[in-house]
Amino acid sequence: MSLFRVTGRGRIDPTTPVQFTFDGKIISGYKGDTITSALLANGIHLMGRSFKYHRPRGAVCAGSEEPNALVGTRRGVGQYEPNTRATVQEIWNGLEVTSQNRYPSLSFDIGAVNDRAYMLFSAGFYYKTFMWPKSFWDKVYEPFIRSAAGLGVSPSEHDPDKYASRYLHTDVLVVGAGPAGLAAALTAARSGLRVTLADENPEAGGTLISEPQTVIDGLPAWQWVAQATAELVSLGVRVMTRTTAIGYYHQNMVGLCQKLTDHLPLPDANMPRERLWRVRARQVILAQGALEKPLVFDGNDRPGVMLAGSAQTYLNKYGVRVGNNAVVMTSHDSAWYAAFDLADAGTKIQAIVDTRSEPDAKLVAAAKSRSIRVLSGYSVTGTQGRLRIKSVRVNPVVNGKVGAPETLECDCLLMSGGWTPSLHLFSHTKGALAWDDAMQTFLPDRKTEECEIAGAGRGLWGIKAVLNDGAAMGAAVARNLDKVASVSPYVVEYDRIGTGVSHTELPTDQDPGKARAFVDFQNDVTAKDLRLAVREGMHSIEHVKRYTTNGMATDQGKMSNINGLNIAADALGKPQPEVGLTTFRPPYTPTSFGVFCGYHRGDHFDVTRKTPIDSWAEENGAVFEPVSMWRRARYFPKNGEDMNAAVSRECKTTRSALGMFDASTLGKIEIVGPDAVEFMNRMYTNPWTRLAPGRTRYGLLLGDDGFIRDDGVIGRLSTDRFHVTTTTGGAARVLNMMEDYLQTEWPDLKVWLTSTTEHWSTIALNGPNARKLLQPFVEGQDISDDAFPHMSIVECRVAGFPARLFRVSFTGELGFEVNVPACHGRALWQTLWDAGQQYGMCAYGTETMHVLRAEKGYIIVGQDTDGTVTPHDAGMSWAIGKNKPDFIGKRGLERPDLVAPGRKQLVGLLTQDGTTKLEEGAQLVLDPNQLVPMKMVGHVTSSYHSDAVGRPIAFALLEGGHNRMGETVYIPMPDGVIRADVTGTVFYDPDGTRLKL
Amino acid sequence: MMALTPEFTPGPLFSSTAVSVSLMAPVARFSLRLRAGDVPALSQAIGLELPTRIGTRARKEPVDIMCLGPDEWQVQTDASDSARLINACAGIYAQTPHSLTDISEREVTVVIHGPDAIDLLGIGCPRDIDQIAIGEGCRTVFDGVSTILWRDGETSFRLDIWRSFAPYVIDLIQTGCIELATE
Repeated sequence: MSLFRVTGRGRIDPTTPVQFTFDGKIISGYKGDTITSALLANGIHLMGRSFKYHRPRGAVCAGSEEPNALVGTRRGVGQYEPNTRATVQEIWNGLEVTSQNRYPSLSFDIGAVNDRAYMLFSAGFYYKTFMWPKSFWDKVYEPFIRSAAGLGVSPSEHDPDKYASRYLHTDVLVVGAGPAGLAAALTAARSGLRVTLADENPEAGGTLISEPQTVIDGLPAWQWVAQATAELVSLGVRVMTRTTAIGYYHQNMVGLCQKLTDHLPLPDANMPRERLWRVRARQVILAQGALEKPLVFDGNDRPGVMLAGSAQTYLNKYGVRVGNNAVVMTSHDSAWYAAFDLADAGTKIQAIVDTRSEPDAKLVAAAKSRSIRVLSGYSVTGTQGRLRIKSVRVNPVVNGKVGAPETLECDCLLMSGGWTPSLHLFSHTKGALAWDDAMQTFLPDRKTEECEIAGAGRGLWGIKAVLNDGAAMGAAVARNLDKVASVSPYVVEYDRIGTGVSHTELPTDQDPGKARAFVDFQNDVTAKDLRLAVREGMHSIEHVKRYTTNGMATDQGKMSNINGLNIAADALGKPQPEVGLTTFRPPYTPTSFGVFCGYHRGDHFDVTRKTPIDSWAEENGAVFEPVSMWRRARYFPKNGEDMNAAVSRECKTTRSALGMFDASTLGKIEIVGPDAVEFMNRMYTNPWTRLAPGRTRYGLLLGDDGFIRDDGVIGRLSTDRFHVTTTTGGAARVLNMMEDYLQTEWPDLKVWLTSTTEHWSTIALNGPNARKLLQPFVEGQDISDDAFPHMSIVECRVAGFPARLFRVSFTGELGFEVNVPACHGRALWQTLWDAGQQYGMCAYGTETMHVLRAEKGYIIVGQDTDGTVTPHDAGMSWAIGKNKPDFIGKRGLERPDLVAPGRKQLVGLLTQDGTTKLEEGAQLVLDPNQLVPMKMVGHVTSSYHSDAVGRPIAFALLEGGHNRMGETVYIPMPDGVIRADVTGTVFYDPDGTRLKL
Repeated sequence: MMALTPEFTPGPLFSSTAVSVSLMAPVARFSLRLRAGDVPALSQAIGLELPTRIGTRARKEPVDIMCLGPDEWQVQTDASDSARLINACAGIYAQTPHSLTDISEREVTVVIHGPDAIDLLGIGCPRDIDQIAIGEGCRTVFDGVSTILWRDGETSFRLDIWRSFAPYVIDLIQTGCIELATE
């Protein structure tokens, strides 16, 4: 047992010693300790260096609001975390803890030279210093600022931990399991509601853990907490500890971050480290309590200076006295009780120094009975001690005049400037705050969500008051949810009620311009900085905040905001509500990126859609490419071929013999109903009325602006039934557009749409041998050219499977597309593959498909169009039904800009040297000798080497392109200007004779 | 215990003490679309009263129908029953136009059963599962993927997932099973 550990006190397990390392040194504590409580039990207060001035710092508090005691923790390989709050991280055997922002060591740090030069680093230092000369910015200032920015070292290794997430619906979510939260949850749960109770601490109880003397309904506080928790569990309440409500979003969506393994020495490898809960609650009760406020005086940041309530927590929760020799400095009654608890546990209390001239007589008497000296009407004006406080300088203040100083020796200074209701989550809801002049704090006012605020979070003080308020709020939400809740008042003994006053900086007899009186400990912002900011013209609290960085550290100003506001308001001579409070934003406490990513990492980062034939492609060495959410086989290299060689072989084989292609990703929509043909006429540019059942047609879809949106081959199966295909990426978009028009514009049409993309697996056969291969497998249809000409469709059987057979081609060769139910896709592929070998058939991928279609002048929507291309621009005026009364985009096409000359139009390009392949995206100019920037008149949209044509071919969008046939355009590239001839877009078999085999 | 195959071979996928997950054998599925006024005619043809409140179901072995929207139903039946269903609907098409479209292979179905089933669904489904009555269901999302959820019992569910999304969804369901086993 160390000198500072009090036998029999606290919630730690004295039978389970735990050892961890701090900067390599072994530290002993017990199960239940945090890093901070274990260090304090070993007499260590120095835990880190401050961000800007590198000042030695120790823990200020015992909770998640800690600004100073931020450390690096390492749990294993890749499991390093910077800026872990030592006050909440539980210890276990082997935990590695390192201090931050110091070199070479925590006790001797070269960066502390900043502290000597502190007068230089005043508010707005960066803005003033790095202004000039301008040329210094890139090479000197920015690198300097970047290297100085940030506290702690970012982890550089792969994070091996798992992160989880879950949705939860609950009638009532109670945030905070202190007395108010427990009472609220009990009342709501007893009324029969589904209740969830979340608390960031390892166990429920909140303040009651630090106030063990309280007796509630005859039970000592800790026993009452145990009994209440057991009852909650028996009522089916989900009690979640180590779970922080990080954000409160619209319509009672609250994000909870549950820490599952950071406190465990050997967690189950399958257990996630953290879990994000997305909770949708019908009612929320915020019972977050209040945070103690520091006092602002010179030297208030030395290790050993700590909040009094936290010292009380270290004693009662962890059995740790934070020092042997304490001075208590307060403006609130609560610190007196902390002093009494510590005195009773063996710490010498040198004095209780109260800023108030007449503290409560009962408290004074209680101090006297413990022989504690009381100094009332006093200020603190300085502290001494390099790595730990050694003494404190106190002065009487009479009628505003600061008297002669007295120095009190001490090894810790326990301060309290009163308590601030925790408004963070309420603030996330954009709920309005009201300034309470008597309490000198903001309180929750108008609500925007279905929530109640209970207990100290709305300014109440004392266990009895918050218990009864919690119960009342529990009953209120029960009533809101049509339940009956009965509430009887709690009987509380040994409650410590009290009051206090609020201050700006404490008065001093020394130069206040030289005082290091810290307001924001984490960002090293002093009262002097805030006043300077106001003098330099920052009159809004938002400006003061940004100029000084007050409240902008990872603790989000939990300790500093209200002191900062009081000082800024004082400097401005305005009441606080006129100066305003800065906005709290989620998350409430620093939250890992991992928990936001959740399961979405590695293979599960996003959906990868695969066709039924994908497994064959994988087994046969395909190289894949992503196309929208699908992965598609791009090419099938053989014997170490690169892409060019493989694509060249696949193209040649398909044109000369036979190729096979997995087209399953094409979107498919079944359009059924007596008005199906009318619907088609209105949706697509083409005329459909005279398309006979059994025939197909290329369809072009525009937006109402007249620009090309999608295309595909559409088959008419019967008078009332169409099989529509769309582009791979456009499937969902096209269906949504169709449904939108149907539901909002044409509800009179009797036609219905169903996505069948995934019902069918589609295999395309292309090449002169396509019919020879397919014919033996087809039952119920003669597929000769006479009986089944180009652009036909039939329902038949192929290889024994029910099928929809298209005669269609996207290559210019004789082509068929076989659709079979998806479950048969791979079997059909294998059957055709085996049979196709006698014709020398190859499997080809998307790259070959692109080349073959480009040779034929077929466009790809989204590659050769970009949302600003009309059918005419694309050379597809033929696809427009001239006699149709209307179709989507018809009126758009008549807009003056869309019929004006000089529009960018799709043309072919052939480089004049006959060998250079253009780069897709390359810009076109008409005169390469212009001054830069040249006038660009278009760009290359598609470019390939074509074996069939014997040279590279390309498409481009070119201003007035249709009238520039035969002209030369220039493509300036980094290594020279390329010349190209403007041509038509069909490079191969312009008469289409190969289709008609 | 079997791994998920690219062919979606039916059978058990994974299980823990508190939940088991399996891939259901293929069934016949149809999307049925029609106007509200034609509900009685189609009900008569199918031999089962079409439910009209979204999320409710009507069942008569082997047919199970869920109302997905004001004009949309998902019909599930045995493969052997599908010809009867197609013919029955086709028989009244001329008088009562509607759309009956075969989507049997569009989806695969995962069966989730056991005390942890609701927690498992909570990993990916933002709906309040408690509010889905036994014998009802809904179209919802799981991990961002559109799915149809059928609640067959207190802790028995089926999840229809579009084929190409199924490996992704089932991967998370497996992760969830492993995770739940640690609790």
